[in-house]
This record gives sequence, C-alpha cells and structure tokens, in this order.
Amino acid sequence: MKTIKKQLNILWAVAVVTYKEWSAYRTHSMVSILVGPIYFIVQYFIWTAAYGGRTMLNGMDLTQMITYFGASTLIGYLTMDFADWNLQMLIRTGKFLTFALRPIHHRFFAFSQKVGHRVLGLLFEFIPCYIIFTLLFKVSLVPRHMGWTILSVLLAFLMNFYIHYILGMTAFWFTQSSGIRRVFDLLSGVFSGVFIPLVFFPHALQKILFFLPFPYMSYVPVMVFTGNFTLAGIEMDIPIIVGIQALAVCITILISELLYRASMRRFNGVGA
Amino acid sequence: MVDKRVDKRTNLNMDIKIKQNGLRLRRYLTVYKECVKVAFATASTYRLNFILNCTIMLLGDIIFPLITVLIYGSGAGFEGWTVYEVLLIQSIFTMSTAIADMTFHGVMWVTMDMVRSGNMEMVLILPVDTMFILMARTFSFEGIGLFIGGLVIFIVAILNVVVPSILMWLQFFAYFIIGVLVMMGIALVMAAISFKWVGNSRIPEIFSSIRSFGKYPQSIFPKAIVIITSIIIPIAMIAYYPAAALLGRGNSGMFIMILPCLLFLLFGIYLYRYMVRLYQGVGG
Repeated sequence: MKTIKKQLNILWAVAVVTYKEWSAYRTHSMVSILVGPIYFIVQYFIWTAAYGGRTMLNGMDLTQMITYFGASTLIGYLTMDFADWNLQMLIRTGKFLTFALRPIHHRFFAFSQKVGHRVLGLLFEFIPCYIIFTLLFKVSLVPRHMGWTILSVLLAFLMNFYIHYILGMTAFWFTQSSGIRRVFDLLSGVFSGVFIPLVFFPHALQKILFFLPFPYMSYVPVMVFTGNFTLAGIEMDIPIIVGIQALAVCITILISELLYRASMRRFNGVGA
Repeated sequence: MVDKRVDKRTNLNMDIKIKQNGLRLRRYLTVYKECVKVAFATASTYRLNFILNCTIMLLGDIIFPLITVLIYGSGAGFEGWTVYEVLLIQSIFTMSTAIADMTFHGVMWVTMDMVRSGNMEMVLILPVDTMFILMARTFSFEGIGLFIGGLVIFIVAILNVVVPSILMWLQFFAYFIIGVLVMMGIALVMAAISFKWVGNSRIPEIFSSIRSFGKYPQSIFPKAIVIITSIIIPIAMIAYYPAAALLGRGNSGMFIMILPCLLFLLFGIYLYRYMVRLYQGVGG
C-alpha cells in the first residue's frame, strides 16, 4: 500500500511538472484548434461526396463515418505519444545514464510525463475541438457506451505509450532510430484507421490487422465510441473487443518489459 | 549638344547597371551550383540515411492516392471524376511537393531554427540576398524519390484518361509552374510567421492542413471554400487547375486564376523580407 502511494505521489509530481513545463508552450497545443477542424472539414466533404446517393459503404453510413473522423481526431489528442523520441534522444546523447542511476524506473517516469502532457492536450486540444465539432459542425459526439469508451480510450492510451516506448528502446541497438520511428508512424497512421476506417482495406489484410498493435491504438476506441465494432467481416460485442484490446495491451507490456531487461544488459555509458 | 551628352551618360549608366546585374546573376548562379554540389556530396556521404528518407517521403505521400483507391475500390467515388482523374490531381500535387521539398521548403525550417537559436545574423552579414542563400543552402535531393513516385502515378493516370492535346500540355506546364510558385509563397509565409511565433514547429501543420484541400477535385467543396482555395490562398493551382487543363476541363477564366497566385507569391516574398528587416539579434 505504501509503495503504491509513493508511486502515485511520484506520478503526480512528474505529471504536474511536465504540465507546467509544457504550459509555457501551450500555443503549440492550441494549433490543434485550427488544424483539427480544418482536417475534419476536408474529411467531411470528401466523404459526403464519396457517399453521393449511397446510404452505406462497407457497413458504415455517412453519419457514422463523420462521427468516426470526429471521434478519431478527439481520441488522438488524448492518446498521442512521443515517448520514443524522448527515449532515443536520451540514449543517443548518453543522458539515459542519469535515469539508469535514479531510484525510479525510466518507463514509469516517461509514463508520468505523458499523463501531464496529455492533461494539457485535454484542456487545450480535446475540449476546444469537442466544442467546435459539436456546436459548429453539429456532429453528435456522445459515446454510445460511455463506460466502455472511457476504458477503451485508457487502453489505447497505454497501448500508444508502450508501443512508442518499445520503439524508443530500439535506439539501444541502433543509436539513431529516427528512420524506424518514421516508418512506424507511417504504418500506424495507415493501419490504425486514422486516415480511413480499416473496413475499407482488403479482407485478408483486415484479418492480419487483428494480430498487429495498430487497430488497438485508434480504430478500436473509435469504433467502441460509435457503438459498433466490425473488422474483417467479424462483428463483435463491445465488451469482447475491449477485452481483446486489454489482452493486446498486456502482451505489449510484457514485450516492453522483456525488451527493457535486454536493453539494460546491453546499455553502457560513462559520465553523462 | 547638352542633350546629347546627357543621353550618352544615361546610356553609359544603363550599360554599367546591366553589366552589374549580369555579374550579380552569374555570381548567384555560381553560389547555387556550389550549394547543389554540397547537397549532392552530403547525400552521397550519408547514403543509407538518404535512401531511407527518400523511401519514407515516397511512402508518406502515396497515402492519399491509396485512400482514393480504397474509396473507389469500395464502389464509391466523386461524382463526375474517375479514379484515374483523381489520381492525376494527387500525383501532380505529389510532384509539386517534391520540387518544393528539393528547392525551397528548407527555407521555412532553417529560418524557424535560426530565429529560435538566434543565429540569423550569421546569414544577414553575408553579401548575398538572405532569402536566396537560405533556399540555396537547404537544397536537398531527398525529394527525388517523392518526385519519381508522383511521376509514376502521373504516368499511370494519364494513360487511363483522354489523350491531351499539345495546347493542353502547354496549359498544364504553365499552371504547374504557377502552382510551384504558390508553394513557394506558402513556404515564405510560414517562414515569416516563425519570426513572431518563435520555435513553434507546428506552424507547417497549419498550412499542411489548408493544402489538403488542394488534393481533391474542387467540385466536392462548396463555393465559399473554392473561392478561398482559388483566390485567397490559391492552393487549387498546385494540382487541381493543372489537372483540369490536362483533362480538357479548363476554360479561359482559369487563366485569371494566375493573378491571385502571383500576388500570393509576392505577398510571401514581401512578408519574409519585411520580417527579416525587423529581426534583431545579438550574436547567436
């Protein structure tokens, strides 16, 4: 109990400091108030034109599609992560050594930083854009299952963090891992459903995606938000897909831990 | 007699001015050539990084054509536009972006960085135009993969639409060049903003989101947006108008659209130069 309380105190302290640090650059976050709605408008007109007179496309109607992109944008603000960039920078510059000596696990420190950073995202990106989407664009952005949606977004938050942390750890082997990170960002953009719902991909690819981390980072929480989950022609109840998402997160945490231990055996540094 | 002497002196002054301008132009060309050589040497030295970045840029920018293919593959589409016609627009956009990345997009990043770190005066003291030297120094070959990718999609698309006439090709090239100039205007406006909005690496995101209107047929957008994308921030000229010219969808009214594009470029140049004049630094 005492350990948990101590960990929570650390999380709170690091999150508050990160929040204050990034608050100095809050206009960076506020760029999203302009960018998010602009991208949303583009998507709105693309899909309105694409539907034409059709009522359904790949099992989604136009309203569901518009809600999909609205929810995808908003959930993206809550789960966005750059732990990979921070970690690879610390490894490349040798500064990771100072973290290796601290009586706190670096991953927990990075996670606490993310919490603080995303609270800022909640205030300066999520809430303003939510207001714009609902009041200006009249998009209904009320989750069908509030509880499951919150749980799924939390799992996506964890998934994004652990996956990016794993990516960052590749720098223990390659030192400069910017290429790998860029390739991953590209793949996750396409296969997590940020650009287009995954049901538009060929069936065989949709089946493979079940076994990759990408859908659990964005597509699953967004579909849980809309209240219907379909992938590769398989329709699932919301509790089941959230359960699968939780399992995927557990596997990712396990991989992250194994990789961290291997990384620590490999890492060496002098006087950073 | 006096008039003749004045005429002679005026002609002499003009000759000197032309000669000076000629020398200046030659000097600028030499500087640019050297910068291109340095860029080539850099790319050759860090070959793996160069190839990796080329590939990533190429893959990153073919996402939009991929989305178009997926939309049409699902049986949907934009009314009045075949998949190849839409791909034509997007391939032109990709090629234009590649040229911009190679030749002048660097000015935005380098200005942003120099203003943030306070190194701008290191460039200001050079005996060349600031805007020119920053563009020359940031010349990069990394966009070549992107250009080739765009060109391949362009060829595939053009082979599947009506064969354009020579006049259509000429119109296309004219609009394409103007579109690249619009890109330059955007890059300069972004760079100029970074003088005031110091260190905000998300400035390009704003313009990138606005540019995304230019990747699709303008007929899918309402008139108000088309007016903005054709006159105020003329991004429709980057890909839509050149593609429309090739597809024979152009009309004489389209030529008028060149005017706001040139005005936008001039505005970008003026704004950048104005912000450079306002810059204050104390030695980096």
